[in-house]
Amino acid sequence: MSLSLRRAFARETMVALLFVLPSLVLVGYFVYVLIGWNVVVSLSDWKGLTPSYNIVGFGQYITLFQDPVFLTSLTNNLILILLFVPSSLALGLFLAILLDSKIRGEGVFRNIYLLPFSLAFVITATLWAWMYNPDVGVINTLLQATGLGFLKSGWITDPNIALACVVLAIVWQFSGYTMLLFSAGIKSIPESQIMAAEVDGAKGFNLYRRVVIPQLKTPALSAFVVLMIFALKVFDFIYVLTGGGPAGYATYVLPLLMFRETFLSTHFAYGAAIATLLFLLVFVIVVPYLYLSSRREKD
Amino acid sequence: MFLLPIWTDITTSFKSIHDIIYTIPVQPPLSPTIEPLITAFNIMKRPLVNSLTFTVAATILSCLLGSINGYALTKIRFPGSNMVFLLFSIGIFLPYQAVLVPLVLTMSRLGLYNTLAGLILTHTTYGITITTLLFRNFYGLIPDSLIMAAKTDGAGTWTIYRRIILPLSLLPFVVAAVLQFTSIWNDFLFGVTLARGSEAMPASVALANLKGTTEFNWNVQMAGALWYALPVLIIYLVLGKYLIRGYMAGAIKG
Repeated sequence: MSLSLRRAFARETMVALLFVLPSLVLVGYFVYVLIGWNVVVSLSDWKGLTPSYNIVGFGQYITLFQDPVFLTSLTNNLILILLFVPSSLALGLFLAILLDSKIRGEGVFRNIYLLPFSLAFVITATLWAWMYNPDVGVINTLLQATGLGFLKSGWITDPNIALACVVLAIVWQFSGYTMLLFSAGIKSIPESQIMAAEVDGAKGFNLYRRVVIPQLKTPALSAFVVLMIFALKVFDFIYVLTGGGPAGYATYVLPLLMFRETFLSTHFAYGAAIATLLFLLVFVIVVPYLYLSSRREKD
Repeated sequence: MFLLPIWTDITTSFKSIHDIIYTIPVQPPLSPTIEPLITAFNIMKRPLVNSLTFTVAATILSCLLGSINGYALTKIRFPGSNMVFLLFSIGIFLPYQAVLVPLVLTMSRLGLYNTLAGLILTHTTYGITITTLLFRNFYGLIPDSLIMAAKTDGAGTWTIYRRIILPLSLLPFVVAAVLQFTSIWNDFLFGVTLARGSEAMPASVALANLKGTTEFNWNVQMAGALWYALPVLIIYLVLGKYLIRGYMAGAIKG
């Protein structure tokens, strides 16, 4: 390279770095430095209001795995994943296929199904608290009014089905999102492929099963990752809907535990350990996904 | 049917106490009143203003920074640009619990605990991750030939940004702004950990508090939810399609 070209290149690099510098500083600090700091706190013995940085090793983590509330929370998160993720994907797929059958007002329906996703969790949790209220709530009074009173239930006040009630509500909120992704995926299948399959005699259910669905792997994967991460991170919704109860811990999840331990009980080191664990769980899902999608981009 | 919870929110907001007891939730009120709406509004006045302030500010800042980041990452090929982008991308998926404790410490040391400025700083920073993604994807579609032509005319990097990139950026700005506004407005976690005092309390926290105190005044609660949902509803109705494009661009929410 000639000298002037090299100089110009170097100067451009400088300018570019100048552009991204403020963001790099901000994100670098608020993400990476803080993650590291949090790990350090998790290794300390900080309890109470004055910070203490005596490093005591992995003690907090050991306590964690012996804590029944932690184990309940972890189990609940896993149950959430197992119930919520497939249900949302299935419902979204169903809605997307429904919308694809060229019914009138497709846009209107799409907007209706997507609305809950745009609402804050605090709002939807408040709505569902009203729905699930056993005394005057919407579901029970409706059941009563339509003669189905025997189906009434304690819903979120019943420790056995409270978690399932939560799952139902968040599936409601996310099905519009999965529907959106699948819908976009369906639309991106070239018309020629559909026509070729139809010429070969495929139609209706078979058409979808053999031609459309196998091509929805990409949106399914994106949705899968988003849903998984949400199932691990969910805090706002449960905090407002059930506060972790009933019966103390029936709907407890890791983020809720972390929040309560850290900010209500001031067990800062313990809370930091929970948070680090949460981060690792999410990390394990995200990194392969980012790697896969960046490889796909190169094609 | 699908919108049942939302429908009952609206009907309940307009019911007096009398109606709550005597009608089933899905019925419209027998004698509609705006009293619950007024009560809720008085409680939530300050938090709503707070939310509006920091949401607008953080949205503008994160979009601007996202735009210049996107530009630098796609049009100025510098060594390490992929690394930088990766660093930002990981931030999109960050579970905020993992930084919450040091974040509170940082804010209190900077004197920004319980302030609007603290919330603006927080939301802007974490917003940069997703806005950068949006702008990078969009700017990647701008043909390089356009840039080359400008360079041979002697335009410098900043001029190219101002004269060529910016005017083409209306769409990504709208998408990013709508997405950011919704995310930040809807946030609860940062609000409840960084801003519990009334100086900076967001509307999300105020609504949650409402549920705690007025356990049986469902009409006031529903009215409060309606107020809080209003800006997002308006955006959804008017600019919904841009919001949808934002959702498709990556992993959001939560």
